[in-house]
Amino acid sequence: MMDDFEKQLQEALSRKEPSPFFEARVLGAVKRQARERRASMRMWWATAVAAVLIVVAVSVWQHQRNEQAREEATGREAKARLELALKITSVKLQKISQKVEGI
Amino acid sequence: MKFAIPVLLGILPLAGQDIKMPANLDRLEAKASEVVNVQLDGALIQLASRFLSDKDPDEANVKRLVGGLKGIYVKSFEFDERDQYNKSDVEELRAQLRAPAWARIVGASSKKKGENSEVYLKTEGGQITGLAVIVTDPKELTIINIVGSIRPEDIRDLGGHMGIPKIDIGPDKKDKKDKDKEDDK
Repeated sequence: MMDDFEKQLQEALSRKEPSPFFEARVLGAVKRQARERRASMRMWWATAVAAVLIVVAVSVWQHQRNEQAREEATGREAKARLELALKITSVKLQKISQKVEGI
Repeated sequence: MKFAIPVLLGILPLAGQDIKMPANLDRLEAKASEVVNVQLDGALIQLASRFLSDKDPDEANVKRLVGGLKGIYVKSFEFDERDQYNKSDVEELRAQLRAPAWARIVGASSKKKGENSEVYLKTEGGQITGLAVIVTDPKELTIINIVGSIRPEDIRDLGGHMGIPKIDIGPDKKDKKDKDKEDDK
């Protein structure tokens, strides 16, 4: 009874030769994992760079849009002031003409 | 050398303006019932003209008109009460508008109403380089200074365009004169 158990144990613990392509399969799996990790890292970096580029592009576009809007507001304000100045000047000059012609 | 920078900084803001507005004018704002203060330097005029359409004939005309301008400065005060401003402020202005640079081309006054209107032109080398208008009456003071190449009649003729009222003087008078002539006959 005891001998059977020892025998089974010995068999279970005895050195077994790996199958012929075991090493190649293990090395292949390691390389494949490393390759996948590198691809994953590259993908991560590409995504991060793309995200940064998008953020920068959106910021630049937004800044340009704000500058344009600011310039347009200043321009329209300046146009209104120009029209007011010309209106006052024109009316005054017309009135002066009226006075001169009335003399 | 130490004084150079403060002196330059003091002069630069006035550089665009042909005439120096008396400091007292700013105090009039509190007394006036209506105030208009327009200060446009060359850069702002050019920016404003970019928003004037080339397709609209009136705006295109104004664009051409202001193309040679380096500054437009208008200060206008209207008062509810009479004699709110000092005559010396106006004299200070007139003192700057002297020959040989400036020439008064029009002066119209009414002692009865206390009104006085003057138009001055600045010329350099036979070219008009500035225009100044001073209009005073007991309840109003208006000072206009336009820097650059401009003819007064071009601005006057803007009346009836761009929302600027046209003070119709010619036809009425002509009609009146014609009517008088007809009555004489």
